[in-house]
Amino acid sequence: MRIVALILKRLAWLVPTLAGLVAIVFFISRVIPSDPVALLAGETASLAQIELLRQKLGLDRPLIVQLLDYYRQLLSGDLGTSLFTTRPVWDDLSARLPATIELTIAAMIVAVALGIPLGVLAALYRNRFVDHFLRVFTVAGLAVASFWLALLLQLFFAMDLRWFPLQARITGFPPPSLSGFYVVDALLEGNVGRLGNVLAHLTLPALTLALPALATVVRFTRAGVLETLQRSFVMYQRAMGIPVGLIVWKYVLRNSLISTVTQIGLLFGILLAGTVVIETVFQWPGIGGYAFEAILHSDYAAVMGFTIYAGVVFGIVNLIVDIGHAVLDPRGAAA
Amino acid sequence: MPNRNRGKFLEVSRRELMAYGGTTALAIAAGLDATTFAAAAKTRFVFANESDYDTVDPHAAFDVGRVAVRLNIYDGLMRWQRNPAVLEPWVAENYTISPDGLTYTFKMRRGVKFHDGTEVKAQDVVYSFDRILAVGKGAASLFKTMVEPGAAKAVDDHTVEFKLKKPSAIFLSVVPEIHIVNATLVKKSESGGDWGQAWLSKNSAGSGAYKLTQFDPAIGFVAERFPDHFKGWGPKWIDEIEFRAVKDTNTRVLGLLRNDFQGIGGYLQTDQLNRIKASGNAQVLEAESMRVMMAQFNVTRAPLNDVHVRRAINYAFDYDGFNKDILGGLVERNPTPLPNTIWGVPKDVKGYSLDIDKAKAELAQAKVKIDKPIELAFLTGFQQTEQAAQLLQNGLTKAGVPSKVVGYPWPTIVEKFKDPNTTPDVSVYWISTYYADPHNWIGEMFSSSTAGTFKNAAHYKNPKVDELLDKALRSTNQAERAKLYEEVTRIVVDDAAGLWIYNTKWYGPYSNKIKGIVFCPIGSAQEMRTAYYESES
Amino acid sequence: MKAALDILRKLLRDPAAAAGLVIVLLLVAVAVLAPLIATHPEAVWDMNPRQRLLPPSEAYFFGTDRMGADIYSRILFGARITLTIAITAVGAALLIGVPIGLVSGWRQSWLGEALMRISDIFLAVPQIVLAIAISQTLGPSIENVILALSVTYWPWFTRLVHAEVHSLRNETFIEAAIALGVPAWRIILLHVLPNVTSPIIVRTSIGMGFTILTASALGFLGLGAPPPAPEWGRMISESREFLPEAWWYALAPGLAIFLVVMGFNLLGDGLRDVLDPRIRRASTGR
Repeated sequence: MRIVALILKRLAWLVPTLAGLVAIVFFISRVIPSDPVALLAGETASLAQIELLRQKLGLDRPLIVQLLDYYRQLLSGDLGTSLFTTRPVWDDLSARLPATIELTIAAMIVAVALGIPLGVLAALYRNRFVDHFLRVFTVAGLAVASFWLALLLQLFFAMDLRWFPLQARITGFPPPSLSGFYVVDALLEGNVGRLGNVLAHLTLPALTLALPALATVVRFTRAGVLETLQRSFVMYQRAMGIPVGLIVWKYVLRNSLISTVTQIGLLFGILLAGTVVIETVFQWPGIGGYAFEAILHSDYAAVMGFTIYAGVVFGIVNLIVDIGHAVLDPRGAAA
Repeated sequence: MPNRNRGKFLEVSRRELMAYGGTTALAIAAGLDATTFAAAAKTRFVFANESDYDTVDPHAAFDVGRVAVRLNIYDGLMRWQRNPAVLEPWVAENYTISPDGLTYTFKMRRGVKFHDGTEVKAQDVVYSFDRILAVGKGAASLFKTMVEPGAAKAVDDHTVEFKLKKPSAIFLSVVPEIHIVNATLVKKSESGGDWGQAWLSKNSAGSGAYKLTQFDPAIGFVAERFPDHFKGWGPKWIDEIEFRAVKDTNTRVLGLLRNDFQGIGGYLQTDQLNRIKASGNAQVLEAESMRVMMAQFNVTRAPLNDVHVRRAINYAFDYDGFNKDILGGLVERNPTPLPNTIWGVPKDVKGYSLDIDKAKAELAQAKVKIDKPIELAFLTGFQQTEQAAQLLQNGLTKAGVPSKVVGYPWPTIVEKFKDPNTTPDVSVYWISTYYADPHNWIGEMFSSSTAGTFKNAAHYKNPKVDELLDKALRSTNQAERAKLYEEVTRIVVDDAAGLWIYNTKWYGPYSNKIKGIVFCPIGSAQEMRTAYYESES
Repeated sequence: MKAALDILRKLLRDPAAAAGLVIVLLLVAVAVLAPLIATHPEAVWDMNPRQRLLPPSEAYFFGTDRMGADIYSRILFGARITLTIAITAVGAALLIGVPIGLVSGWRQSWLGEALMRISDIFLAVPQIVLAIAISQTLGPSIENVILALSVTYWPWFTRLVHAEVHSLRNETFIEAAIALGVPAWRIILLHVLPNVTSPIIVRTSIGMGFTILTASALGFLGLGAPPPAPEWGRMISESREFLPEAWWYALAPGLAIFLVVMGFNLLGDGLRDVLDPRIRRASTGR
C-alpha cells in the first residue's frame, strides 16, 4: 500500500515539474531576448515586418495567455511540427526512442556489470595498486569528453583495425522491426547472423556511452563497500573469523546493489546526456541524434519538443527507479 | 594515427563474416571468392547522400540533393542526357512548336508502363503538370512565369499540348521537370484536396527504371529494377539501389573506403578526394561540369547598396587561397556569374582578385557608413561555404570592415531569401545546372522578376539588365542571345552585384567495381539505369 | 589565513590533489599569458590557407588547422574562453544557488519547499538537454553558453546547501543562538555559512570540470562561440573531416579538455578529502 501511495505521490509531482520545465523553456525563449519576435524574424527585418509577424504568431497576447495556450497544445500530445521533417515532433521522437533505449540499456549493463565488481575490488584492496589504478581510471573516465572519445574509438577500432562497424545500428536498410529493439528482434527470430551484426554495431557506441557511468558506479561501489566494511557487525564477523569472501557475498554486494539501484536515476541522467553527442558521431538513429539534427536545421519546434520529451522520459525512469528502490529497501522508501 | 596501407579487402569484413555464420565461412574456407558467391545473389548499390530524403514526392523538390528520386523512379516527356547536356525526347517521341512560339505539342510513345502495369497516357501528363502548379513547389515557380493554370491539355491519349503566356526560350529546357505520376493511383489517395501529397511523399506512382520498395524518411529509400521500363536494359544492370542519408562527410568517406557504400555524394574537400584516389578500392570519376560557387549580395540594404562597398568586398576575398590551397586546385576561378564553359560568357572579363589596398581605396569612396558587422551567411553542413565565409571575414577584417559569420540550414535560408528585409547581407552557396542555358544562372540571378527565389538573393533591380534578359528569353537565335548575355555579364560584374568564386568539375567517388556511371550536369550521375558491376575474373 | 595554508599543506601531501592544483594553476597561467607564450598570436583571427593542415613541427607545435592557423596558439587562447565560461557559469550558479539553499534550508516553510521544487524543475532533464534548448533559442555565442550553463547548474548548489543547513539547524549551538534572540541573518551569515563553505568549495571545483565538458559539447554541436573563436569543442568538430590523416587536429584540443577537467576533478577530490573527511568520496556523485 505504501508503494501505491509512493507512486501516486511521485506521479502527482511529475506533472507540475514538467509543467515548470515547459514554462522555463517557454519564458526563456520569450522573455530573455529583448524582442523574441525580432529574433524569429531575423536581424534584418523592418519594424513593420516584426509587428506583422508578432500578430500572426499570436505573440502580441499576454505571456500567460500564450503559455496556457502552449500547455493546451501539449496536453493534446502535440509537441509541435518539425520544420524539417514536416511531421509531428512526437511521431519523430517516438519512432526513434527505441534506438536510444536499446543503446542506453546496453551501456547501463556494461556500466553495472563491470562497475560493481571493480568497485568491490578497489575497496577490498584499498590503497594498493588496484585501488590507485582504478582511482586514476575513474577520474580519467569522468574527465574525457565523450564526443572526443567516440571519435577516437571510431577511428581506431572501426577504421584502422576494422574490428567494428563505423556507424548505424545494422548493415544495410533496417528490416521492419517488431519491438524497435534490434537485439530483441534478432533473438525472437533466432537469427544468429543478425544478432551478431546488431551487437557489433552496438559495441562502440555503448562502450563510449558507458564510460562515465562506469566510472561513477566504481566510485559509488567502492565507497559503499568501504562503509559497509567499517560497520560494526561486519567487524564483528571478521573478528569471529568468517572469511572475507563470504562477508562480501552476503552483505557487501547486497548493499552495493541497493545503492546502485538508487543511483540508476543519476546514471540514467548521465547516459541520456551522453546520447546527444554519441548518437551524432555514430549516426545512431535515436532521439539524441534527432536533437543534433534539429540544432543543425534550426528546427526550433523539434528542439523544444525534444527537451520536453526528454523530461517525460527522464521523469518516468526516475519514477520506476524510485519504485524499485522502495521495493528493494523499504527502510529508505520515504525519500 | 599512422596511415595504414588500405589494400583491397573482401567485400565483407572479417567481423561480419563471423557474424553471418556458417555458410559464408565455409565458402571462404573452400577458397571461393566472395564476389562469385554474390553473383548468384542480387546486385546492390548503396549511395550515401549528404542530405535527407525526407520525401519521395517528385513534385515537392527541385534540388540536387534529392534528384535520385526523380531520375530513377519517374520519367518525363524529355530528359537531359550526356555531357555537355543534350535535351532528348524521353517518354515523348517528338515535339513541335507552333510558329508563334506559344504552343508546344508532344507526341508520346505507346506502351510506356507505370510500375503497376497501366499505360502512361497524356491524361497522366496533364494531371502531373496541374499538380506541380497546384502544389507550388519544385519547378512550379519557373513554370508559373511561363503558363497559366490549365495550360496543359490532352489532345488524345498520346498527345499533350501546352499553351504558353508568351514565347519562352527556356520552356523546353524545363519540361524534364514534369515528372509523370500515375494519375489514377494518386487521385485514389487524395485526401482533403491535397493532391495526394501526404500519400505520395511516402509512396511512388512512377514509371521509371526502378520502383520504390522501401522508404524511411530518417534513413532513405530502396528501389528495385523495373524490368518493363520502356528504355529497355543492357546485358548487365543493378538489381537493387539504395539511397540513404549520411550527413557526416567523414562517415561517408570512410564508409566508401570500407565498401559500406558504393557511391557517395556531397561536395568533398580535396583532401578527401585524394584519400579516396589513394585507396585501393575506390575511384573518383571526373567530368566537366557547370556549378558555380558564389557569394550573393543583398543589394537593397546598406552598406551593400553602395557599389564601392560591393567592389571592396570583391577585392577582399583570397580567391587563390581558396581555390588553389583549400580546394587543392580542383576548381577553376570563375570571375563571372556564368560558368566559364557555357556560351554567353564574355571572354575578356577578368573579374576581381585579392587586393586589400584596392579594397580600402573603394571603401574610401563609399558614401554609406558601415556601422555594424556585415552578416556573412553560409550553409550549415557544407564546410566549403563555411570556410569561404571565414576567409572573406578574414579579408574584410584586414580591410577594416567588421563582419560576422552565421550558419543557416538550406531550407531556412531559402525562406529568408523571399523577403529583402530578412535576406542576409552576403550568402555563400552554389548554383548548379538545372537546365543547360545561361538563363539558369545570370537570367535567374539578376532579373527583377525572380528576386527572392533561391537563385536570386540579391534582389537586384536594373531596368537595363531586365530589358536585355527579356530580349534574350524571347529570341531563339543562340548567337543573338549570346551577345545579350555577354552584355548583361559585363554590366553585372562592373556593378559588383555579387562575388563569384569558382566553377568546378564534377567529382564522383565510387567503388572501383562500378561501371557505366554516366554523368550529366543535370542529375549529377544519379541515374542508375546504365550502371552495373564489372565481375571479377 | 592560517587555516587556508594548513589546508594547502595537507592538500599538497596527496600527490593526485597536488597534480590537480598544478594543472589548474597552469590553466590560469596559460590563459593569462597567452599573448606572450603563443607562437602565432594572430592565429586567433588570421588565416593562411597555404599553411593548412600541416603536421606538428618546430614552427607549429601542434600543427595547423583547416584554415592554416596555428593550433598551439589557438589552444592557448582557447584556454581563455574555457576559463571564462567555467568561472562565470559556476560563479553565477553559486551566487544564485547558495542563497536559495540557505533560505530554503533554514525554515521548514512553504517558501523553502517551493524553492526546492523549483530547483527540481531545472533537474528534470540532464543539464546538456536544457542547455541545448536555451543556446539554440538564443543563438551561438559565449554569453548564451554561460547563461545556459549557469541556469542549469545552480540547483546543485542549492541542494547541497539546503541539506547542510537543514542538518546544522538542529545543532545545539544554533539552537542556543536562536534562543538568545540573535537575528536569523546573523546566525546564517556568521555561524551557518562558514560551516557550509567546505562542501561548496568542493562542489565548485568539480562543477568547473563538468561545466567545461558540457560547454565543449555545446561547442562541438555548433552552439558555442562562432568562428573564428578558438573554442576547443568547436575545433574538434571541425577536425572530423580531416581524420585520420590530420590526427593532431583532433588530438590537441581533446587532450586540452581532458587535462583541464582532470585537473579540476583531482583538485576537487583532494579538497573533499582534506576539508571534510566525513563526506564520503562518492556521496555527491557529480
